[in-house]
Amino acid sequence: MEEAKHIAFVVPRLADGSVVGGAETLLRNLAERAARNGCRVTVLATCATNHYTWANELKPGRRTVGDLEVELFPVDDDRDIETFLAVQNRISAGAKVSREEEQAWLRNNVNSRALCAHLAEAGDQYDVMVTGPYLFGLVYHAAQVHPRKTLLVPCLHDEPFALLTAFQEMFTSVRGFMFNTEPERRLAERLYGPPSADQVASVVGMGLDDFTVDPEAFAARRGISSPYLVYSGRREPLKGTPILVEYLEAFRIRNEVDLKLVLTGSGEFPLPPALVDHIIDVGFVNATEKLEAMAGALAFCHPSVNESLGIVLLEAWLAGTPGIVHAHGEVLRYQCESSNGGLWFKTYPEFEEAVLLLLNSPDTRRALGQAGRDYVLREYAWDTVEKRLIDSLNRAAQTSDA
Amino acid sequence: MNDELEINAPGVDAAAIVEEIRAAVERKRAEGAYADPCVARAERSNLTNLQNDDDFFDFYMSCLRQAFVVDINDFAIIERRARLGKLLVILKTTIWKLLKFYTYRLWTQQNQINGLLLSALESAEQKHRTRVQALEERIADLESKQQ
Repeated sequence: MEEAKHIAFVVPRLADGSVVGGAETLLRNLAERAARNGCRVTVLATCATNHYTWANELKPGRRTVGDLEVELFPVDDDRDIETFLAVQNRISAGAKVSREEEQAWLRNNVNSRALCAHLAEAGDQYDVMVTGPYLFGLVYHAAQVHPRKTLLVPCLHDEPFALLTAFQEMFTSVRGFMFNTEPERRLAERLYGPPSADQVASVVGMGLDDFTVDPEAFAARRGISSPYLVYSGRREPLKGTPILVEYLEAFRIRNEVDLKLVLTGSGEFPLPPALVDHIIDVGFVNATEKLEAMAGALAFCHPSVNESLGIVLLEAWLAGTPGIVHAHGEVLRYQCESSNGGLWFKTYPEFEEAVLLLLNSPDTRRALGQAGRDYVLREYAWDTVEKRLIDSLNRAAQTSDA
Repeated sequence: MNDELEINAPGVDAAAIVEEIRAAVERKRAEGAYADPCVARAERSNLTNLQNDDDFFDFYMSCLRQAFVVDINDFAIIERRARLGKLLVILKTTIWKLLKFYTYRLWTQQNQINGLLLSALESAEQKHRTRVQALEERIADLESKQQ
């Protein structure tokens, strides 16, 4: 690859070890794949590892992580959290905020002046700067340094924050975008208008490697003898965890089926006393155990309505397990429709019928799981994704030279 | 099976299955299968639908109608502690039997409040729905006159 020689990946946190956010994992994977395809890649990230505190826990400076050159910069420690939260709460509630308030929110968001100063000083050495997700002050400010070299991986959601004027301006000023899915691309077009003629906009996504696991290993190890649904990821209202828990409770009351729910991932969530013995919360587990839990599940249930890719759903499909998603989760539903690998519900009765169908018809469950698996192998094989990634980087490098 | 289905995934059509599920749900709903307070409770976290789906409001209101009365029936008392567990269950069950009578006044008042709130919500929704419908008809009328 000649055009895109040196690529900077600017991310709030480097995905490594326990830092496993979806966007961070996506960007790290893209960085590694770009490096394997002949690009010189430098990852520029903050010293933070905890996405609640954003404390500078790692030492700043250069290091090598895997195949990647990494340079870490401190998070600004002069954030006014009160101002940040005051504006954030108003935006979340759908209130209209002024331009000054938007800027105050971005200024007191997660930022690194040191990282932006590096981009300003050393920007010439980079042919393309890939950055995301869109919601961080760091990403917003980094995209302003060399907008015509910036390729945004927005991980965009249909949420009040996406309507801010500042983001409208960011989307119209950058060189281009690498979206995760077609619905995300359509959402960006709906919110900010179609990309201009000199912008590069493509759907790239993230590749997954095929794997084989024993579908009975997880249940045997954990002593589970009943059918179970599985969810992997953060447990919080935005991810639909309350719906999942309350639907399970109703299902168990209304049906004589000892259905369990397995949760892997992080985040505290209060469990109703009646479900304590029926929700198996294994917390953060290694990748193999997570995939084994998926492979043995009746279905992978992902009730979030705010996803831009849904990596865990793709992993569940690779494990041969069908998905059950919320009908208003545009991206996850699109993936289920495109793959025929999952069902979607709007209300509890639809959820109940979908679960009963999968319980009573193992053939349907197998066929859905197989269709999902075929879809991931077809659309999310690394070879396919790498072609889209390299094509995007090449086009961005060409146009930024122009 | 048509060509389009075969392109996506031979042998299974998720959209058709979802349609079948919805038809089954409609049929069962008409038979009263979901007139169940636990369905209403299950939907309280699913309010994203209220913003996106007009039909959901009607469904949710029908759920609320099933659920607004506080359940004052006896319930299973579970004791997780192994030591003295049975004794504690007997003790708690006895206390509940002796005292539950005194909770009736509280629950009656709560049921009245819940019922009044539900009626107010239904009235307000009906009022706004009628108003919006009248405005839409007026706009359509004005637009047709303008053309």
